[in-house]
Amino acid sequence: MTTDNSESEGFEAFKNSFSYGSRTDLNFKFLKHLPAEEAARFFQDLLWKLGETLDDADATRLIDHVREWQGRGYGHFSGFTYDDGPFTPLSKPLSESCLTLLTSTGHFVAGHDPEPFGVKEMTQEEAIARIGDFLKAAPDLSPIPFDTPPDQLRVRHGGYDIRGVQADPAVALPLAPLRELQQDGTIGSLTDAAYSFVGATAQTRLLTQSGPAWVEILRQQDVDAALLVPV
Amino acid sequence: MSVGHVARLLEEAGIATVIVAVEAFRLRLESMSVPRLLVTPHPMGRPLGPPGDHARHREVLRAALGLLGREERSETAAYRLLPMIPNAFPAYTFRNTASGRSSP
Repeated sequence: MTTDNSESEGFEAFKNSFSYGSRTDLNFKFLKHLPAEEAARFFQDLLWKLGETLDDADATRLIDHVREWQGRGYGHFSGFTYDDGPFTPLSKPLSESCLTLLTSTGHFVAGHDPEPFGVKEMTQEEAIARIGDFLKAAPDLSPIPFDTPPDQLRVRHGGYDIRGVQADPAVALPLAPLRELQQDGTIGSLTDAAYSFVGATAQTRLLTQSGPAWVEILRQQDVDAALLVPV
Repeated sequence: MSVGHVARLLEEAGIATVIVAVEAFRLRLESMSVPRLLVTPHPMGRPLGPPGDHARHREVLRAALGLLGREERSETAAYRLLPMIPNAFPAYTFRNTASGRSSP
């Protein structure tokens, strides 16, 4: 990662540089979508709270600050809007139902790399650099057996900070916790595999091509319910 | 938005869905009229909670799965878990020898 130390750089350019710019940091790319005065307040309050943390070492306030401002940053987004939507009630108790897990985390199993754009062993840095390409392409769905050992999981996604899921996949891909809930009878059964894709993808292709094909995969397994986790 | 689309497609096909998402995604998912949404008070990329906090992950999952039992859509589809108690972020807590807390 490089930084732009140009003396002429203004605050607008500075805050925008965290979003696929010279200071790319996917936890803070939302700054680009904030007006300058709001972004300035984010930094000012962050530093103030950091000062408080110097004295009591309680980083909770810093986490809360980041979380709150991530919410504000994405509140500026407009996207697909629907006045109503389909609703399917669960036809039987969860303890008798088949559940699957589907996440947009970009996980896959070692040896089964979807190799986006034909690139072998694409790195996270390359995925970040090619985010524009991902947003124009149809997504690949990677099946991930629920009993996959953590050391066989791989993750790559140019749209979010993957350090959390690298430290513990369960923060967004809860394979082991769901197995426990199946074993204690809370969930009737799980599909053999969970599923993951890179959520930064072409939305129209997802809606008209990939998504309907994924639905068919799940219907063939008599899935009753799906736990969905976006990141 | 991607997961919102998937949720709608699955629901249309007769598969019940529940989404677990952080606050940053709440508005866009609500605007997509997804049927069941659990909003969690965690940073982006960690919707179930901090790394290593298995109790928190289970708590979030139980709350989400509880929403699956709803038999009809309600006006408010977003649920919030209470914020975690202070200093309950083991993976994010700075070393503090005075209190005995430390980062892993």
